[in-house]
Amino acid sequence: MVEANERKTPEEIKQRILEALNDKPLNAQEISKAISSNWSTVKTYVDDLINKEKVKEIYFGEKNIIYQKITGDTYFDIPISDEERKKFRTLFYLIIQEYKKRKKFPTKTHLAKCAVHVIKNEDSGLSKLPIVWYLYGMIPLMISDPSQDYQEETKFEHEIKIINLINDFIVKKGEKGSGQIQIEQHKEYGEELYTLSDEFFKITNLSEWDDKEILEVLNKFFIACPVDKEFPEIFDLTEVVLSIIRKLTIMNIPLQRYRKEILLTFDSLWKLIALYKFYKSKTIGKDAMNKETLLRFYVGHAFESRRRNLQETILELNSTYLNNLANFDISKIKLSKEVQEVRKIMEDWTGED
Amino acid sequence: MEKDSFFDTNVIFSYSNYNDQSKEIIKKCYLYVSNKKGRFILCGAVLEELFEIIKKRARIHKEVISKIENRDYSFEDSILISKRDIPFAKQLYEKLKNLEPEKVSLELAKERDISKIAIENFLRNKIDEKVIPVEQIDKELIKKIHDIIPNHADCGILASALKLQKNRDLFLFVTADGQDLNPKAYYFLKEHFEINYKKEDYIFPQLKNLVFEI
Repeated sequence: MVEANERKTPEEIKQRILEALNDKPLNAQEISKAISSNWSTVKTYVDDLINKEKVKEIYFGEKNIIYQKITGDTYFDIPISDEERKKFRTLFYLIIQEYKKRKKFPTKTHLAKCAVHVIKNEDSGLSKLPIVWYLYGMIPLMISDPSQDYQEETKFEHEIKIINLINDFIVKKGEKGSGQIQIEQHKEYGEELYTLSDEFFKITNLSEWDDKEILEVLNKFFIACPVDKEFPEIFDLTEVVLSIIRKLTIMNIPLQRYRKEILLTFDSLWKLIALYKFYKSKTIGKDAMNKETLLRFYVGHAFESRRRNLQETILELNSTYLNNLANFDISKIKLSKEVQEVRKIMEDWTGED
Repeated sequence: MEKDSFFDTNVIFSYSNYNDQSKEIIKKCYLYVSNKKGRFILCGAVLEELFEIIKKRARIHKEVISKIENRDYSFEDSILISKRDIPFAKQLYEKLKNLEPEKVSLELAKERDISKIAIENFLRNKIDEKVIPVEQIDKELIKKIHDIIPNHADCGILASALKLQKNRDLFLFVTADGQDLNPKAYYFLKEHFEINYKKEDYIFPQLKNLVFEI
């Protein structure tokens, strides 16, 4: 193999390695091939990049190692191009400047939501910048951080329009709290599940819980819950969580008694659902990422750990239910006419495939 | 002395769905469990199948709600439910289609929850012994049973019962399966084992098929 790196400085070689890792993580052989050099040479530089926390190793089994670029500035280190990075930074810079002109400083949420407001408007010329749905709604794929010293790194073709859009956002939302603008964004884009999650957190944030109101929101949440062949557990686990809460009320247990367990479980459920929404928003549309790559290298581990966390919180919540079940007389349950009719229809159903 | 009862999934599920209007076999299951005699035994395969059925029922209900929300939705296109579930989903839809989706969801959830409470109560208060976790089921034995009994879940449950029966006084294998585990099929299976696996000396529990009990 030709030692192509002979004419290059170590920094140039490292830069080429990072460029090779831009699109997706690679194994040793793939990196060597991409920069036309043998692994023993390349490994020294890769190790250096690992030490500098610019690259990380991902183990598949004991021996298979994949090298992934750490961007540090995008969610789950999902790669974006340098051009996209420059545009994001410039947009964040412009937003902060406009806030400053009004003697304000944006919060992280204001910065992210304002950026989305601009990107979603076709006239901004920035509609190709990647945005995703995640925990708190629609956000730029690049993490917005108001404490960063963003600079104007590129000149936008439609800068005036962009600034107008930023000001339009500041006028409408500038005085509002982060939670409020999140809620408004969820409504604006018609994401019912997010709106219902907001509603759930709002009513469970009150000092006195209204169980009927909570059940109504959760009932709507069940109806809005996505059903996906790829992720059937999103629906199945949602049903498990909601069912435990409903069963507590059937046994006349005030939900507030298990406030902590209910909130922790719902929060874990929401974190899993939000990750699913993130995955969907990165795998649908014109700049969709390869599903396998996204799962394998970027969000797969997060799915696993969130699923585990949820299962742990479910166990905790379920144990409170089971403790109450021990003292509950099931003959007290009265079946409504509708339930009896449903049972009549289902009585020949055995569940066998 | 009363014999112990080793349960098939369908008895527990039927028990959980009992009400005054239930058909005969569901009443029989309910009475059998309620008038408990002897010790009740549950194997891991039954527990697993119960959870699977609970999951499937929620999926059917979800599909019915989806259809009520969107009349053009077709159960045949469903990614959630199997072909066997479709006639039940259709019947539920016909019965409930004029109600608001929220109301339907609420009633269906009640139906599921009450049944689940009955199952969980059964597991907690009626079961004396849980045996053979799924990972300990004899897979070779499952294969042998599968030559005669087509349903894989039934094979796992029967394999567990046979394994347990080796070291126990004769117990009852309690089922409400009128097809694969009807008395004729059960004795055919027993005979098949006596002829083909004589050396292994399998002992079959006494069948108590509630479908065929008077």
